[in-house]
Amino acid sequence: MDRKGWNGSAEQVGDFLELACRAFMGGVAAALLFALAALTLTITSAQAAPVTLNDPKTGMLLLRTATPGQYEPAPKVETDVAIQVSGLIARTRVTQVFHNPGGDFVEGIYVFPLPEKAAVDRLQMQIGDRRIEGQIQEKEEARKAYEKAKAEGRKAALVEQQRPNLFTNSVAHIGPNDMVRISIEYQQTLAPENGEYRLRFPLAVAPRYVPASAAPPTEGVPDDGKAAEAALVEHPAYDCGGAVNPVDIVVAIDAGVPLARIESSYHETWIEKQSNGRAMVSFIREQEEADRDFELVWSVAPGQGPQAALFTESVSGAEYALLMVNPPQPSASEKALLERFPRETILIVDTSGSMAGVSMEQAKAAVFMALETFKAADRFNIIEFNSIMRPLFAEALPASPENLQQAKAWVKALRATGGTEMAPALTFALNGRETPGYLRQVIFMTDGGVSNEEELFKLIAARLGQSRLFTVGIGSAPNSHFMTKAAQFGRGTFTYIGDVREVQEKMSTLFAKIEAPVLKDVAIRWADGAPVETFPPRVPDLYLGEPIVVSAAVTRTASRTIVVSGLRGNQPWSVALTPSSDSEASGVGALWARAKIATLMDALRTGGEPGEIRGQVVKVAIEHHLVSAYTSLVAVDVTPTGPAGGTRSALVKASLPRGMAVGEIPQTDTAATLQLLAGLLALGAAAIFAVAAHTRSRA
Amino acid sequence: MSSGTRRRALWGAALLLATLGAWQLASAGWIHAKALVAQKLIAAAWTQARDGGVSRRPWPGADTRPIARLTVPRRGVELFVLAGASGRSLAFGPGHVSGTARPGSWGNVVLVAHRDTHFSFLRDLTLDEEILLESGPAAPARYRVREITIVDKGEARIMDAADAAQLTLITCYPFDAIQPGTPLRYVVIAERVA
Repeated sequence: MDRKGWNGSAEQVGDFLELACRAFMGGVAAALLFALAALTLTITSAQAAPVTLNDPKTGMLLLRTATPGQYEPAPKVETDVAIQVSGLIARTRVTQVFHNPGGDFVEGIYVFPLPEKAAVDRLQMQIGDRRIEGQIQEKEEARKAYEKAKAEGRKAALVEQQRPNLFTNSVAHIGPNDMVRISIEYQQTLAPENGEYRLRFPLAVAPRYVPASAAPPTEGVPDDGKAAEAALVEHPAYDCGGAVNPVDIVVAIDAGVPLARIESSYHETWIEKQSNGRAMVSFIREQEEADRDFELVWSVAPGQGPQAALFTESVSGAEYALLMVNPPQPSASEKALLERFPRETILIVDTSGSMAGVSMEQAKAAVFMALETFKAADRFNIIEFNSIMRPLFAEALPASPENLQQAKAWVKALRATGGTEMAPALTFALNGRETPGYLRQVIFMTDGGVSNEEELFKLIAARLGQSRLFTVGIGSAPNSHFMTKAAQFGRGTFTYIGDVREVQEKMSTLFAKIEAPVLKDVAIRWADGAPVETFPPRVPDLYLGEPIVVSAAVTRTASRTIVVSGLRGNQPWSVALTPSSDSEASGVGALWARAKIATLMDALRTGGEPGEIRGQVVKVAIEHHLVSAYTSLVAVDVTPTGPAGGTRSALVKASLPRGMAVGEIPQTDTAATLQLLAGLLALGAAAIFAVAAHTRSRA
Repeated sequence: MSSGTRRRALWGAALLLATLGAWQLASAGWIHAKALVAQKLIAAAWTQARDGGVSRRPWPGADTRPIARLTVPRRGVELFVLAGASGRSLAFGPGHVSGTARPGSWGNVVLVAHRDTHFSFLRDLTLDEEILLESGPAAPARYRVREITIVDKGEARIMDAADAAQLTLITCYPFDAIQPGTPLRYVVIAERVA
């Protein structure tokens, strides 16, 4: 009986296992079937999409031809960068040699990032011994001149601005085994921070090639630059097999005063220091394909750096000035006094639905960081907002251990849900009820998911009073435009935290910096009291180590002295600067024009009239020979060197340096397909079990 | 008796698997249902917002509002765009990435949506196709597709402000991926023509 029962149950288990196996096999079969179906779909879609993947990894980039499966080598680009630094101004010349190893005439399009405030003012094309200077023209006209030259079989180069920090250089008609040398020049200002000068060059311009038109020409892709660009996609089969597109950089520094320290942050370089503040820097070996910028950092001997400097330049009858003021660093006793200045900190935390997940974690971590920095003499409050606004305390309270404890528990319990109504929280924080004798700082943490930006800017400007507003951007793609602007209106700064691991570092930097402003209520006037029109127009409070750098036009003949004033601690402070003959520096005019264009373009984004602004930008840009949103540099060769008609285009695209763009593109896929598959599999298996059970019951 | 136990076990397993399957199917269906139904609800809120000028929440407790209507006449696509591109609002419709130019304004208007629901039509879009974006009582802005490209999710610069008026539509790539979480994005850039 026992045995029999045991036997029976063993048999039972065996049967069950067998069935389970069958069901499992059924499931696997179903899974395979589905996978096969999915694979077929994916393959067809890959064929339909204008991308082709994986060509032989030859270490050289290829250009697609009309015949499928046939490729040609794309033009090579060699890049030489020469940077001349004199004092605060850096002038950079980027020379690119386009070489076409193929057997056809091609067009090279090179996309490259430049520093945000770079003023591009020169283009030169060299063919053999001939040099052709680029002319500044309105964007459409320049484009037309370029297209015309291309159609007539002449060589031409065109530099266009795509975005304030992204430019394209197109070169038409690079013949077989031909070489065309293109030079672009730009300048920028270098503002010393904490006595350190930092020069960056986006080295990621070391180009990657992408195949030209993925659609074969037979489909009638119109042969203009735009259509060519449109059809371009990235070529993934790039294997580093030799210096395809080498880059070399040489920097010559003339600081004017003795140099203390000079080093390259990420690359191996030769540094040759000379006397009287000069130095030469160059790469030890040629660089290629990098995803990090070239960065050079130097500082001048302590006490040697200029505390204030004024540079001027006359351009076609007008005089321009570049002004740099480094407010005197507080002495030890002043520092102690400033640090004793108690602070009243209001933390505003966005707890709307869009903050759910990692963003909320980051925000909480940042608040905890802030709570750690409060001293007993400080006061604080925390406000959360989503659809409604909810403060921790009715008004700011001293940072006592009990209050801090209560705050921590309150923050821990915060949940992200609901809408984003910022106005009530800002109104509550900027209530004009600052506690006298306290330095009032509002720290606003959000992902900036708002649509009523203008309204909020007005609110901040109107209610700011003695408070200062610091914005902290959280999450993968925060609204950095809103937060930068909000901080500008709030006379504070914008900090971006992209990763929860950065919270500690970024927040402590922010808190250390805002511990005490060195100079408040900065005003820039002529000696007779009239305000100077500066670009950028607003100067925020200055914190430890920050300089003021602005451009202005010297329109007056009577009083040419500029007075920079502000509040240092509670004492008025000012410095007067008068241009003299030895303050002449070349490039000041272009920098003024570039700063003015930036201000005009800003106005466009805050509701300016496009037509009017366009006119003003074009006028300034043409006068100063600058590439802008509406003007381009174009150089056209006089003699035709190639066949008229269409050529193929190769987009030579620069990879963007790591950490240059803020955040990442949102995730936009769902688990629907996966769930559908899992669901169908499970149902299939269930059916098999059910059939088995049914058969059993009949048997 | 033993056969009965066996049968019960089999039925139990079948039931369990059926429940699991039904749940998974329901989840998948729920994603698509939300995407479909929400757009209908949003349509009403949008019409009201456009005509009355008051932007209303499409349903109580929604943390987003419709701000524009995206149409591709040739493909019969009509979508209502929501403010913000958080995971929550993307379940209901294409989201406008905050900080990029507002629909109807100058600059780079960036819209994102799920590859398997609202923006599945992007795979069929071709160069020079026309896209309309309506954001107020004025005539809709007309855009023409200029560029189609695939980028890594880190290339956030495609969302940067542009000097020209352009529309950037982004979704995940590849379209038929089974597993979510791809690092690739399919990007359609259209240029304003009127």
